[in-house]
Amino acid sequence: MLSKSEKSYIRTSLLSEPPLRADGRSLLDFRGVAVELGVTALANGSARVRIGGDAGSESGGGGVCGTEVLVAVKVEVEDVSGSVDGGKGRMACNVSCSPAAYPSLTMLQLDDFQSDLTSILDTTLGCSSLCPTNLSIIPRKKAWLLHVDALVLADDGNVYDALFLAAAAALHDTRIPRTRPIEYRPNNARSQASADASDDPMDGASGLDTHAMPKATDFELMDYWDEGEPLVCPNGMSWPICVTLNLVPPLFYLDATTVEEDATLTRLLLLYSFSTNSSNTRLQGMRLLGHGEVEANLIKPLIREGEKHAKHLNQSLFAKLKSELTKRIPQIVPSTKRNK
Amino acid sequence: MGSRVEILNDGGYRSDGRRQFELRDIAIDLSRHGQADGSAMYTQGLTEVLVTVFGPREAKLRSQTIHNRANINVEVNIAAFSTGERRKRSRGDKRILELGAAIKSTFEPVIQTHLYPRSQIDIFVQVLQQDGGLLSAAINATTLALITAGIPLFDYVCAVSSGVHSTHAMLDLTTLEENDVPHLTVAVMPRTGKITLVTLETRLHSDRFEEVFRIACEAGKVLHEEMRNAIKARTSALARAMGEGHPAGAPSNREGDEDFEMGDD
Repeated sequence: MLSKSEKSYIRTSLLSEPPLRADGRSLLDFRGVAVELGVTALANGSARVRIGGDAGSESGGGGVCGTEVLVAVKVEVEDVSGSVDGGKGRMACNVSCSPAAYPSLTMLQLDDFQSDLTSILDTTLGCSSLCPTNLSIIPRKKAWLLHVDALVLADDGNVYDALFLAAAAALHDTRIPRTRPIEYRPNNARSQASADASDDPMDGASGLDTHAMPKATDFELMDYWDEGEPLVCPNGMSWPICVTLNLVPPLFYLDATTVEEDATLTRLLLLYSFSTNSSNTRLQGMRLLGHGEVEANLIKPLIREGEKHAKHLNQSLFAKLKSELTKRIPQIVPSTKRNK
Repeated sequence: MGSRVEILNDGGYRSDGRRQFELRDIAIDLSRHGQADGSAMYTQGLTEVLVTVFGPREAKLRSQTIHNRANINVEVNIAAFSTGERRKRSRGDKRILELGAAIKSTFEPVIQTHLYPRSQIDIFVQVLQQDGGLLSAAINATTLALITAGIPLFDYVCAVSSGVHSTHAMLDLTTLEENDVPHLTVAVMPRTGKITLVTLETRLHSDRFEEVFRIACEAGKVLHEEMRNAIKARTSALARAMGEGHPAGAPSNREGDEDFEMGDD
């Protein structure tokens, strides 16, 4: 916790002309952002994002350490026969914080903060408009359930932006295993189905009806050279990107460190998703954090400003992901040739 | 659980292609992490553990202070995605408490707690991935983190898991092997040859115990060499950086510009 005078010192220097920040950045500068994909081998997709800090210094006693978030996506088969929304699969998000990231918080406070982070990630990503369209395995019977697990390893401010960047990167990295539906038809020699899939007498009866729609009862995993297909976000939108506007009336600044966050009364989280050709932007969510209040007529220009920065962030993330994913292809291609 | 994989085939190879006494790849990263006083990322095969150490510092709860020595507080957190099947374990989970208690009792005789009366040393263990040998990886990472935090220890603690398949002892088991084979975890203090932890959760014939135990102790010495090299590399990098007048943590690969001595250092 900062003292009153420290807080006012930080606030006055932010409001001075030109604005001053402890690390010499201008108000709208981000710290360096590092993104790494595929960091956990046991997950279907994962990413580690680090904002600030001197990543890669092996000598270890660096002065600043930055914010670090790890997100892993795991898929699980879920029975959706009883669900009301048609059973298209869903996403479940969970955030946990390492106690090392918040050494000053007690365990109870940490639990509260974790559920805060979980709720914002879950309400944003779990929204049905963002549910990937290729999660269904057998329509109205089985679907993939995406578990998005985030882990905050270190917090040096701006944890929300890091969280959503890491989640977007991990979802880009995720591959859904390819499946093939199989069915059981007792009187049909042409069927390539395996008989052990279902021994249900009810299915045997429906198998006699040749006019019925073929009904898949189970599925098998296809053996293929890659791990599966990427997630398809509906309507060609990107995964949501968060921009935190730290409000020090009359201005705002981006990417606050822990100390600056402490000195700032109000923070506005804005969550955007963009279509791939960036012609279309959607506001996915909005939160006002902190004690202060904001004048209502300020919100509109703030949203417009936020969009600009989110777009920039999204473009850089996309470029980085593209280069990461193309880096992988040359590794995969030679090995498949050898197999054939 | 019966397995369809051969634990040890006729050629003397294990399911992942290792020999009986072969350890998996070890990677040690001692770079700074968050606001911690010391931290270590320890990777052994697919098992990955991050340990951060805070302290010695004032205890958060007054009741936890001990008047003549430091209190050691161990918190274990297992990531939900760390295993093959996703599983969320809460903080009160029996398995987690047990792991924490094992780490605490291992380090209580090793840390020179009498030097810091009325204070607390926090050890946060974050399991990122697990594929067998979780306790041994956590103990090794904790040793390294304590050393980087500058907390005085009597000795290194090097832990390794070992098991017996029929009559053959094996070292550093994976999850697959742990499910099938009786195994124990041994933590050695290599300099004095003392043992601070032996755990055995499954049945093992008493005739076999000695051999497995002896091999685990020897493997501990090999690990000690590995851990000492990592610590030495970090310390010499720090010393070099201080000598050059750079802030610690600045890039240390500056062999080329040694002739530019800064005037005041």
